[in-house]
Amino acid sequence: MGYLGQIFVMAMTAIFIQNFVLARFLGLCPYLGVSKKLDSALGMGLAVIFVMTLASAFTFLINKYLLIRYDILYLQTITFILTIAALVQFVEMVIQKNAPALYNSLGVFLPLITTNCAVLGVAILNTTAFRPDGVTAYNFLDSVLNGFFSGVGFTVVLLAMAGIRMRLEKSEIPKSMQGMPIALILAGIMALAFYGFMGWKI
Amino acid sequence: MKYYLKLGLILFIFCVVATGILAYVNSLTAPVIAQRKATEEKQAREALIPNAEFEEKESDQGLTYFVAKDPETAEILGYTFIAADLGYSSTVQTMVGVDSGFKVLGIRIVDQGETPGLGANCTLPAFTNQFAGLAVEDIYVNKDGGVVVALSGATITSRCIANSLREGIIDVQDEPEQGGEQ
Amino acid sequence: MSFIKQLSRGLIKENPTFVIVLGMCPTLAVTTSVINALGMGFAATFVLICSNAIISLIKDITPSKIRIPVYVVVIAAFVSVVDMVMAAYVPALHKSLGLFIPLIVVNCIILGRAEAFASKNNVIMSIADGIGMGLGFTLSLSLVATVREIIGAGTWLGMRVTPLTYDPALIAILAPGAFITLGFLMALMNMLKEKK
Repeated sequence: MGYLGQIFVMAMTAIFIQNFVLARFLGLCPYLGVSKKLDSALGMGLAVIFVMTLASAFTFLINKYLLIRYDILYLQTITFILTIAALVQFVEMVIQKNAPALYNSLGVFLPLITTNCAVLGVAILNTTAFRPDGVTAYNFLDSVLNGFFSGVGFTVVLLAMAGIRMRLEKSEIPKSMQGMPIALILAGIMALAFYGFMGWKI
Repeated sequence: MKYYLKLGLILFIFCVVATGILAYVNSLTAPVIAQRKATEEKQAREALIPNAEFEEKESDQGLTYFVAKDPETAEILGYTFIAADLGYSSTVQTMVGVDSGFKVLGIRIVDQGETPGLGANCTLPAFTNQFAGLAVEDIYVNKDGGVVVALSGATITSRCIANSLREGIIDVQDEPEQGGEQ
Repeated sequence: MSFIKQLSRGLIKENPTFVIVLGMCPTLAVTTSVINALGMGFAATFVLICSNAIISLIKDITPSKIRIPVYVVVIAAFVSVVDMVMAAYVPALHKSLGLFIPLIVVNCIILGRAEAFASKNNVIMSIADGIGMGLGFTLSLSLVATVREIIGAGTWLGMRVTPLTYDPALIAILAPGAFITLGFLMALMNMLKEKK
């Protein structure tokens, strides 16, 4: 399998087989909280893809050239979360200054992303992940791509959820099932559908 | 500007204190973790090939394996290594011991994150025990024409374990100093 | 308000999982067995008590502009401590909780309590709040895990509780079962609340 093939496997794994939300249970707060409207779901999704890609790049470099080199891996959690927080703050400032239109659509979601466990999750997973062959550890490009694809996987299910929930508003739901319970059961059915992708050998 | 410097300084002090505490806790726990891990691996190796001295080596393919030798006669008793392959939803790591004729002495699943109740059953003795005594050419799951009975509902997990073992054994066999055919 | 009263609030009335709906990721991910749920619950409780105590102690010397990063540093430090201690003394549990131990850092419950409670109250009350919220979290995790483990594996805390003829419905301990179980439990809570 060539490198392009491995990237394809990585993309399919991150988006369908080991979906961040439905199989790994990461990023559930925004998944359940920001999926009431389609356009806000899209904004959140794009912001998450952006931050996850950047965070993967930065945390990979920090892990390799600081934490491993000086043998201070026990500081991993604290450095990663501070890096992500600083990154989100920085991205927010840059976008606000240079692209006001983009800021208007993404801005409100950015502060929420620091506490999105999918971002910290992908950063930590990248440090222990292996290529599809099960032997080679991720290099810089692998980590960045994995961050990007995982973000895409998050966005795909977030959009699907938002689409379903918008339709759901028009249907009659028993009072005690309204809101969170029905959203959770919906998520369960989606997870069941995504189970069909598991064990899919590419 | 001065105000921001002060803010930065306060944050910096917190980070330094936190780092200090973590470094201290790490100095207490790291040896415990390292020792536990080393003992566990050693015990696993010794359970597979008892009464032997182990020597660490690396194959041409980058596989780390241990040569088990009789402590007195230095005769090669067998080899152990950890084989890894992508299973159904995780990388499955299997420690295997083979004798000097490359017949499997026993296997142990070291690490897996397969589906509970299906693939995760690969750690059960009912599955692992059947590998004992198998020669390289037999290590295929029954669906692929071998003798390994796959776990029900978890053929992919079973196949991944069988394949990783077989490839690992062939890899060690081909090492020149083991007298393998080149 | 008294110490006990503050402590009991987090358990039922302001239960972090079922009432405030925070910290969903671990609630769904680690509730495949009761033992995992208890491990996660106690780890989070420990972090919650410690971070609440420290944050309420330093609330007067932290400028409000950088309070969130400071809280994050405090929380992350305690999480790392828990991570290392668990890896050293309960390796099996540490392994099965895996990624979700470092992820306690971004558990909204902990940062949420720091911001909403500990930064405004004294140490004693903050500790009470930490214990209450932590136990409330542990309680809901164990509840979800109890349902899932009994249906999905036929056991509770590893002991067989169903008749041997019962064939466990595996789906309950797989990912879809997590969502569906929690959904029905929440609907049940809502129903009980309406009846009152």
